[in-house]
Amino acid sequence: MSQTTPPTPLTFAVEDAWKPLPGGFWRIEEAQHFLRRVGFSASPEAVTAALRTSPKGYLQEAFQPGAKMQKTEALSEFEATLHERYQHIYKEVEDEEEKRQLRQEIQREENELFRSFAMDWFYYARQPEHSAREKFVVFLQDVFVVEQNKVKDTPLLFSMQQTLREGISQNYPELCKKVSREPAMVRYLDLIQNTSRKPNENFAREFFELFTLGEGNYTENDIKEASRAFTGYRIKERYEFFQQKNLHDKDPKTVFGETGNWDGDEVIDITFKQPAAKTFIIRELIKFYLTEEEVPEPYIEALGEQWADHGFSLSYLIETFFQSRLFFHPAYRGNMVKSPIHFYLGLCQDLRLDVAPFEARVLRSMATMGQAFYNPPNVRGWLYGEHWINSTTISARRQLVDYLFASLNEKKLNGNEQRDLEAARKADRGDFLVTKERLQKVLSLAPDDLATHFTTYFITAPSRTTYLEALQSILGDTQDEGAAKRVRYAIIALLQSPAYNLC
Amino acid sequence: MNHLPLTRREFIRGAGGLGFLAFSGVAPAFLARGAMAQTPAPERDRSILVIIQLAGGNDGLNTVIPFTNDRYYNLRPTLGLKNGLLNLNDNLALHPACKELHQLYGDGKLSIIQNVGYPNPNRSHFRSTEIWETASDADTFKREGWLGRYFDNECAGNPEADSIDADPTAIHVGDMIPQTYLSEQSHSLFGMNYKGRFDRGDDPADLAYEKLLQADHIEGNASYLQHTMMNTLVTERRVEKIIASYKAQSSYPGTKLAQSLKRVAALIHADLETRVYFVSQSGYDTHSNQLHNQERLLTELSAGMSAFQKDLNAHKKDDQVLTMTFSEFGRRPAENGSGGTDHGTAAPLFVMGSKVEGGLLGQAPELVTDVKKDLNYSTDFRGVYSSVLDKWLEADSSKILGEKFEHVPFV
Repeated sequence: MSQTTPPTPLTFAVEDAWKPLPGGFWRIEEAQHFLRRVGFSASPEAVTAALRTSPKGYLQEAFQPGAKMQKTEALSEFEATLHERYQHIYKEVEDEEEKRQLRQEIQREENELFRSFAMDWFYYARQPEHSAREKFVVFLQDVFVVEQNKVKDTPLLFSMQQTLREGISQNYPELCKKVSREPAMVRYLDLIQNTSRKPNENFAREFFELFTLGEGNYTENDIKEASRAFTGYRIKERYEFFQQKNLHDKDPKTVFGETGNWDGDEVIDITFKQPAAKTFIIRELIKFYLTEEEVPEPYIEALGEQWADHGFSLSYLIETFFQSRLFFHPAYRGNMVKSPIHFYLGLCQDLRLDVAPFEARVLRSMATMGQAFYNPPNVRGWLYGEHWINSTTISARRQLVDYLFASLNEKKLNGNEQRDLEAARKADRGDFLVTKERLQKVLSLAPDDLATHFTTYFITAPSRTTYLEALQSILGDTQDEGAAKRVRYAIIALLQSPAYNLC
Repeated sequence: MNHLPLTRREFIRGAGGLGFLAFSGVAPAFLARGAMAQTPAPERDRSILVIIQLAGGNDGLNTVIPFTNDRYYNLRPTLGLKNGLLNLNDNLALHPACKELHQLYGDGKLSIIQNVGYPNPNRSHFRSTEIWETASDADTFKREGWLGRYFDNECAGNPEADSIDADPTAIHVGDMIPQTYLSEQSHSLFGMNYKGRFDRGDDPADLAYEKLLQADHIEGNASYLQHTMMNTLVTERRVEKIIASYKAQSSYPGTKLAQSLKRVAALIHADLETRVYFVSQSGYDTHSNQLHNQERLLTELSAGMSAFQKDLNAHKKDDQVLTMTFSEFGRRPAENGSGGTDHGTAAPLFVMGSKVEGGLLGQAPELVTDVKKDLNYSTDFRGVYSSVLDKWLEADSSKILGEKFEHVPFV
C-alpha cells in the first residue's frame, strides 16, 4: 500500500499552504481528521455537529477565553494554611520527632491532593467541550515542562496549569513572561537560586533552548548574560512571586548583541526579535499535532512571518494552523501515534464512558502507558510519536482496553476502590465500563454493515479497507449463538490494533 | 494456521511462518526484510550485565559496618549493629542478614565497592535516582540513561534489530521502563512481570487481535505499530515458554526479587542476544523501624543474588554475567528519633560474578562526631559505570559518559 506523498512547495504552493480549507472540502473525512487532532475523538454526533459549522466556527467556540477548572475547597484550604503550618513547625515545635511527623502529615496530604487534581483534570478534559483546549494545555505543558516529582506542591502545579490555560488567548511572549513568574517554574528551573552574586543558568538555558529558539540559535554567552537579567526572582510565603531588588543584577548585560540594564521581561522581548523565535513553537506545534516527519522549511517560515506580524498571538496561530490546507493535507491523516492521554480520553469518548473512578488504577495505567500525569521524564518533556510505543507500553494499552470491557466485581474491590465507587455513584457519574447490554444493541446489523460501522466509527480512513475483511471474518454471522461474544472480541481487538492507536 | 510463529526457525522455515506469511497474501516490508536476513550465529559468549536497583536509598553504614569505630556506635546508639556481624576484615563486617553474600565474598565472587557517590550530593529520591540513572553531575541534566546511551552508541544501525523475532536489546522486570534505558533512538526494550503472564495463546480475544495485526498496514506509523505489536506478542510467548520450561539449578526463594532473577537466569540460559537486564527491589527508605526492615530487605537481596549466582554456575553461564547493585543514596550517619535514618549520601555497592576480582575496593567512609555531618564519597559512581562499560561490555565509556572516569578494578 502506498501512502499519499507529503506536500512539497513544488506540488503545494507555499502561499496556499496556510489559507483556510475551502468550504467545499469540509466533509466527513476532513471533520474526523480535524476532531481527532484538535481533540481526542470523532464520534458520528460530533462530526455531524462540526459539519454544521466551519473549522473556524468550531475553533472559536472551543478556544473561547475565560475557561477555568474549578479548584477544590480542599486544595484552596491547603494552600491558604500551608505557610502558617510550616511556620508553626519551624518556629514553635521543638521536638524533632513531632516536627518530622507534622512534615510527613503535610506530605501525605499534598500527595493526596495531587492525585485528586490529576483525576479532576481527567474528568474535566474528558468532557468534549473542554477537550480541544485541554489538549492544547497538554501541548503547552510539554513546552513549559515542570515535574511534580521535583516541585511537589499541588497548589503551584494547579496555578501553573491555569496560567497556561489562560495563555492560550494571549500572545506567546506575554505567556513566557507569566510563566517565568510562576512559582512552579521558578522552583523547577532554579530561578529561586539565581542571584547577582551567584547566577544560576538553568532557566535562561531552557528558556532559549526549549521555550523560544531551539538549540544552535544562541551562544553560551547569551545564556550567561540573560541569566543575570532573571536575577532576584523570589517566592514569599510559598505561593507569592515577587522580585527582590537587592538580589537583581543591575549591571549592563549584552544579549543577542543588545546592551542595557535588562531585566527578565526585556530579555524575553529581545529574544522575540530573533528570527528563530518566529518558527520554534510552530515546529513544536507541527510535531504535536500534525506529523513527526520533516515539513519543508518554506512552509514553516511562511507561517512564522505571518505569526510574527500578528504579534505572536496564540489565538491567531491556532486559528490559522487548524484551518489550513496544509493541516488537512491527505498525507498527514491517520499517521499520528496517539499519546496515552489521547488514547485513554479518546477511548472514554468513543465508548461514551466516564473516566473510571478508581484513582490508583487510572493513574497507574497512565504511568505504565508512559505518560504519568505532570511527570514527564525530564525537562525536555515527552518525545511523542513512535517514542510512545514499546512492548511495555503496548501491553499497558491492551490491558486498559481489556479492563474497559471487563465486568466489575464489586466484591473484589479494595477499601479505597469501594470508597471511590461510592463517591462516583453519589456524584452521579456515568458508566465507566462497557456493559454486555450495550454490545447486544449492535447485533441487529449484518456482519458487513457491522464491520463497516466499526471501522468508520473507530479508525481513520487509510486503514479501513484492509481492516474490513479481517473484522468480517472475526464477526461471522451476527445472528448465530456466539455472536455477542465475537462482537466483544472484535471490538476489543480493533481498539488494541495499530489503526486505533493512530489518529 | 493463523498463530504467530514462536521462534525464528518456525517463522522462516516452519509451517507457522509460511502460514503466517501466506495469510495476508503480501508480507509487509519489514517481514520480508526479516525473512530474507540470514539467521546469525548465536553469540553464546557475549558478556551480560544485570542491574539490581535498591530503591529508596540503602543505608550503607549498616550494610558494611565499621565495627571497631566508636564513632559509629555513638552516632547510632540504637541502630548500631554488634551481634552476628560477618567480618570482611579486622575493621569491617557485613550485615548479619548477608550470609550468602559473605560466602560469595569469601569465594572471591563478590566485590564490595565502598563509599560510592558523587560531588554535591542531592538528597531527593527523585533527583538522586535520576543522577545515578543518567550518570550526570549533580547540577547538570542529562536526558538519556547511561545504558540508553550505550544502546544508542553500540546497538544502532543493526538490521537484525528490525526483524520480527530479534531478541530485545534490553529487558526489565516491572511495568515501567527504567530511566537507565531512556535513549535518543528507539531500541527494542522488553518488560515482563515477575509473576509472568498467563499464556493466552488460544484465547479467542487474542486470536481476533492477531487477525487484525496480520491485516495489511500502510507504511509509516501503522506499519511501525504493527511491527512492535507483533514483536511484543512473539517475544512475550517465547519468553514465557522459555521460562515455563526452565529448570533452575538452585532453589530461589519466593520473593519478588528472587523470582525476577530466576526469570532473568532462564533467559540467559536460553542464549538470548539481550545483554542488559534490570530488576528492582524497593523499600529501602528506612526512616523508621530500620532494624527490622533493612534486615528483611538484605535477607531477600542476599538470598536472591546467591540463588541467581548458583544457578548461573550450574548452567555454566557464570563467566558471562556480571551483576551489580545500586541505590540512589546512602543514609545519614546519625540515626533519627524514630529508629531509622534519613536521606544521606554515599554507600557501598555490590558487584557479583565469577569474573570479578572480589574483595573490598575503594576507601571506607570517614566518620566524624558531628551528628549533622554527612559522609563524603570516595569513589565516583561513574568510575564504576566506566569500568562496566569499558571492561565488561567492551564499549567506549568516554563516549557514553561524556568524559573519562577512573576505573575501579573489579573486572
